Amino acid sequence: MIDQVKQKINELLSAGSVKGVVALAHANSHVTPCLFQKDDDLSVLSLGDNKSDGDARYPLNKVLIKIARQYPDDAFGILVRGCDERGLYGLYRLKQLDPEKVVTIGISCPQSLAVQCECKKPWPDDMTAGEISDGVEQKQVQDAEGKDQSQRFTYWTDQFLKCVKCYGCRDICPMCFCHECSLECEDLVSKGDLPVDIPVFHLTRAMHMADRCIDCGLCDEACPSDIPLRVLYKKTAQIMNTEFGFTSGIDKNETSPLSLMGPSPEKPEK
Amino acid sequence: MAGLAASFGSGAMTNSVSELEESDTIFIIGSNTATSHPLVATRIFRAKEKGAKVLVADPRKNQIAAFADLYVRHKPGTDVALLNGVMKVILDQGLENKTFIKEKTEDFEGFKSQIEKVDLDEVSKITGVSVEDIKTMAQTYAEAEKASIVYCMGITQHTNGVNNVKSLANLSMLTGQIGKPGTGVNPLRGQNNVQGACDMGGLPDVYTGYQKVTIEEANKKFAEAWGVPELPSKVGLTIPEMISNIEKDEVKALWVMGENPVVSDPDANHVVKALEKIDLLIVQDIFLTATAKLADVVLPGVTFAEKDGTFVNTERRVMRVRKAIEPIGDSHQDWQIIQDISNRFGYKMAYDSPEEIFTEIAALTPSYAGITYERLEGQGIQWPCPTQEHPGTPFLHKDGNFSRGKGLFHAIDIKPPAEVIDEDYPFWMTTGRVYAHYHTCTMTRKSRLLDSEISGGALEINPSDARILDLQDGHRIKIASRRGEIETQVMITERVEKGVVFMPFHFEETNVNKLTNPACDPIAKIPELKVCAVKLEKA
Amino acid sequence: MDYQNTLTTCTYCGCGCTLFLESIDGKLTGTIPCKTGPVNEGKLCIKGWNVHEFVQSDKRLKKPLLRKDGELVEVSWEEALDFTATRLKEIKEKNGSDAVGFCASAKVTNEENYLMQKFARAGIGTNSVDHCARL
Repeated sequence: MIDQVKQKINELLSAGSVKGVVALAHANSHVTPCLFQKDDDLSVLSLGDNKSDGDARYPLNKVLIKIARQYPDDAFGILVRGCDERGLYGLYRLKQLDPEKVVTIGISCPQSLAVQCECKKPWPDDMTAGEISDGVEQKQVQDAEGKDQSQRFTYWTDQFLKCVKCYGCRDICPMCFCHECSLECEDLVSKGDLPVDIPVFHLTRAMHMADRCIDCGLCDEACPSDIPLRVLYKKTAQIMNTEFGFTSGIDKNETSPLSLMGPSPEKPEK
Repeated sequence: MAGLAASFGSGAMTNSVSELEESDTIFIIGSNTATSHPLVATRIFRAKEKGAKVLVADPRKNQIAAFADLYVRHKPGTDVALLNGVMKVILDQGLENKTFIKEKTEDFEGFKSQIEKVDLDEVSKITGVSVEDIKTMAQTYAEAEKASIVYCMGITQHTNGVNNVKSLANLSMLTGQIGKPGTGVNPLRGQNNVQGACDMGGLPDVYTGYQKVTIEEANKKFAEAWGVPELPSKVGLTIPEMISNIEKDEVKALWVMGENPVVSDPDANHVVKALEKIDLLIVQDIFLTATAKLADVVLPGVTFAEKDGTFVNTERRVMRVRKAIEPIGDSHQDWQIIQDISNRFGYKMAYDSPEEIFTEIAALTPSYAGITYERLEGQGIQWPCPTQEHPGTPFLHKDGNFSRGKGLFHAIDIKPPAEVIDEDYPFWMTTGRVYAHYHTCTMTRKSRLLDSEISGGALEINPSDARILDLQDGHRIKIASRRGEIETQVMITERVEKGVVFMPFHFEETNVNKLTNPACDPIAKIPELKVCAVKLEKA
Repeated sequence: MDYQNTLTTCTYCGCGCTLFLESIDGKLTGTIPCKTGPVNEGKLCIKGWNVHEFVQSDKRLKKPLLRKDGELVEVSWEEALDFTATRLKEIKEKNGSDAVGFCASAKVTNEENYLMQKFARAGIGTNSVDHCARL
């Protein structure tokens, strides 16, 4: 699989159709997000697998946004899995990236990773390499909802109590790009003390991500307190689906039912 | 660290951070883990999720205490009393590990006769912890398969800090809870490279790897390696001693690199006076800190982002620091600054890179002998690592084979703090950290988010005390000790008990170290930052 | 165009979290926790996530300062280094080695601490080297 990816990156860079390709590389015996440019050594390319499948994934879309803000006139290639591609669709909709300036190099996720993520669509539409694994039905939300209300209340309160307010869920999120963050708005969330306001902090974020979360799971992996954030966001996504028939990132030309509310997002500044 | 070194032969954390996940009982004392070491708290949360019992003892009910199976709030400065009580229960109920004590330790009898004198009701009175809770703690810890102790400055920053640590060592040896994965005694180091600064001989009595300056063999070895006819063999001065020797006109010059003693040291007014008096104050730093403002010469060094080198974390892991960007402005590499001054002074140094310096360190330091920059790629290496083939050491004192040979019991009696409350100063004051800041804030307050999270130090006070003083949240208050006075605002919380107030030490504007007591532990010379007596007055 | 992620160790507490300092064209732009770091496994605290920020603060010292007529003024490195070395020499000769004290640091690297205590012991001839391990 990796050879096909290398070949595609090589083609894009040699043809000059992109300025660089955002992907992963082996460096210092770790996996590192990086930008490959023309004549760079592609032998160090990594697909984000370290000890197990996909255990060294990084928010490459977020890297791309940063680079594109500095170099808005250049086109870039990017390594994507199913979730990353969903993210790109959302970022096009939210005007954070220009689809004309992005070329994807898509890889599918193996079944093991799809199961672990409970991913409904573990492959990108635009596939360069890999084989399509089966989509996985969501059980975690069901399980969480299986408990009665007081059990659920205790469970989530205990989880939120562990929060050390690192903002890592936001900082790692490829769909978080706002210049002003509602989590830092003192009318919503008070500052200066731990534990954070329960459940306001976590539910504010869950609400804000309702039409954005693309279920990549990076927030879960970044949480120092192992709070099962992904289950929470899967639940909000489920509500969006049943109430509005909307699923973030499934359609390249999607529009969000929530875009009726508030001003439309602005073009990114350099 | 002197306490652990005396008991076990090594002053460092006995286990790896990740091993805490494997512990089935974790006893946390004097550590605000979720705030000060959040990534250690991660492992404690996980252990708890897997069914481990968490015991927390702290005068302040911090975040991690909310997860404890048992939380006890002992009075400030009563750690030894509490631990002696716990050990009394263990002996009374025959929960001690007799084989371990017999085969792996010494001086048990002296310790035992001391503990036998302990009266549990008396302990309960001194500490404010019920006899029942003391019994539960003792049983839970002693009966665990793998029990870990985690402690921090809440244990060490006392005039009897070394005794506190020795008591924890006693507890682990008494029950044989040491020398296995997830089983041991773990001091969490506060600053990123405290362990490294100690390892490197940044202490008045040792060269690298704790080789004593007073031992002729070590002295000769270093003199030869460093190309000098002889090296001083008299133990040097600690920082508090340097400060008092400035006042006595015995110390005339001080070179401070990357420290801010004006804010971090106890009795700050006294430190400022000494630094104003000294003939030559050299400060090497990245910001114009409160200390740098007093300097005769200020040398701009670089941050970790602009340099290559190594740090050692709390679990003895030597890790690489790599240069990400060029030095800002006309700042210089810190090693280069020292080398340039040394050469001008007349002692020749000719290093080309930090790696070259590290190679010299490894050659002179048995516990680092097998470490090279190349080997540090990946996960780093936990010392001791004596040879190139050695994989490093995740936990110390394997199977109770202590670094010093046998583990040494110490009979420890209770001793009150150097300053106790009285009619004039009726409140116990204790200090600590908050989640968004680090040390004296010279770095964290330059960050937008961190500064906006918390930008000043509030005084935590119990609701019933607040009522008596007619205080509400946000009111201004004057806090005075025998050494100074500061003013700040009030935060009313059950986190502290009646009669106890807490304040973070990070902030220069509300410098709580104008109040703290510089009285030190006689051995470790650690000042009693965790306890002093204050009076409060509405401002 | 230069985009780099430099693997390094956090400079805040003693946990020793592994992280990437992200830079574009020589300027730091962010911090990314390293997934394969032995202690943090892709997680960081609030301080770690923002550790790149103080580095490029406009409050950074950019030139050596020397006290002249009571004021700290910017001087060249030559002048600052010469002054420091000369004064150290004078004090050592007049008041002896133990009249000089050194405050090493729990914040700088091993290599830098090593060099400072080497200079103190072999250059000046004193064991008065300490750092604030205790604080």
